[in-house]
Amino acid sequence: MELHGTALSIRRLEKRYDDGTRALESLDLEVPAGTFFGLLGPNGAGKTTLISAVCNLIRVTGGEISVFGHDVASLQARRMIGVAEQDPNLDRFLTVREALVYHGGYFGLGRRRALERAEEMIDVFDLGAKADVRAPKLSGGQRRRLLLARALLHEPRLVILDEPTAGVDIELRRELWRYIRRLHEEGTTILLTTHYLEEAETLCEDVALIARGEIVARSAPEELKRRFGVDSLEAVYMETVAR
Amino acid sequence: MNAPHPWMSLLSLAGRECLRVTRLWTQTMLAPVVSSVLFIVVFGLSLGGRISGIGEIPYDVFIVPGLAAMAMAQAAYSNNSSSIFQARSDRYIHDVLSAPMRPWQMNLGLSLGGAYRALVIGIAVLAIAIPLTDAPVERPFALALAALLLVVLFGALGTVIGIYAETFDHHTFVNNIVILPLTFVGGVFYSIEVLPSPWEEISHANPIFYIVNSVRYGVLGTSDVSVGLSFGVTAAIALAVVAWSQYLFATGRRLKA
Repeated sequence: MELHGTALSIRRLEKRYDDGTRALESLDLEVPAGTFFGLLGPNGAGKTTLISAVCNLIRVTGGEISVFGHDVASLQARRMIGVAEQDPNLDRFLTVREALVYHGGYFGLGRRRALERAEEMIDVFDLGAKADVRAPKLSGGQRRRLLLARALLHEPRLVILDEPTAGVDIELRRELWRYIRRLHEEGTTILLTTHYLEEAETLCEDVALIARGEIVARSAPEELKRRFGVDSLEAVYMETVAR
Repeated sequence: MNAPHPWMSLLSLAGRECLRVTRLWTQTMLAPVVSSVLFIVVFGLSLGGRISGIGEIPYDVFIVPGLAAMAMAQAAYSNNSSSIFQARSDRYIHDVLSAPMRPWQMNLGLSLGGAYRALVIGIAVLAIAIPLTDAPVERPFALALAALLLVVLFGALGTVIGIYAETFDHHTFVNNIVILPLTFVGGVFYSIEVLPSPWEEISHANPIFYIVNSVRYGVLGTSDVSVGLSFGVTAAIALAVVAWSQYLFATGRRLKA
């Protein structure tokens, strides 16, 4: 897997909602390929809007986004992105296995390959006992596992995780991070949003803090701590976006 | 990363929509077929004996194409509107919107469930009605074309309403207040030639009248208006509604914030 270059490039991104709310303000961001990147900020800062823009889920009002050099609207770019959204958005009519196989199909995998990958993901995320159960009958933790399995099924080069461990017990959280770390070691670029700052500090090589739709600080966690003269990322957060 | 399979996205989306229809078959297919057959039994076979035929056509035979058209139109519409509304409401449409699919593939893939449901219902209604009433199929190719235009038109209308609807009531409102009444006054149960002026002329403004007549021409070989006009009006409306749904997918309006 190519580990040099830019995984995600965002230039002068703007998003104004129909009600006039300005969610993103001429935002610039570059995420190098192969990075474990953290996007941190309070609720309403623009994190989910930014992720939605990268995943073709909102209509941006200005700016450019490219993924591994491809315009974000192109099919090549979309094929390279896997997203696990903050709130489970699972198809209520499909079982766990079907949800994965159909997702693979949407992303262009042939039926046989989609089935193979679905079985791999079911195994990795320990969903075997629930493989033939529909989404509404899954527990919160199982839904979270399925969301991640779905995001990773088509082997994206850029994985976007929006609060992946929110409301998840400590055991599952550790398990998920073990898997995501392994993915990152294999060269996948990870873009993570989380409210668990100690988690971001441990996992992320590079962090951007966002407030009111703008990036207010961005660097490696150690560099940020040095720059602000504090001893934790939480203190950097309090100094920058929580003001 | 795996090399993408060029048609797999569209096939998977269409497959998912058809699976939903099949999985809910008692609601999506059995119920409309039973109610159409009941219409034929009650209005055609029971009361039909007391009603003189329409021209030379027995009444029970006359109502078969209109009832098949009505069942298909409602199925194509309500399938697509409810499926898309649910996908938006539960946000699993994000899995489709973020996938490497072109807008027309999303539009077509999401619409094919309605077409599948409507065609199965149409075939089932005719398969039961023909032996019951001895209705012929005089122009099979015209019938196939009429059925195709009908499912395209009402499927696309369902897609559009499913995208605009903000509550589940909105999609049932269009069905109950617009489609159903227009179908009933669109010549399903009578020929508009029996209507006094100005009702006969007013009926020509009802688009469903042309759709019913297109299907009737395919089954009975007769129509209240010129066949070309029936097919032309149906095709023009179908094209306009498909263009509307395609516009929504191409721009993301109402689908994306």
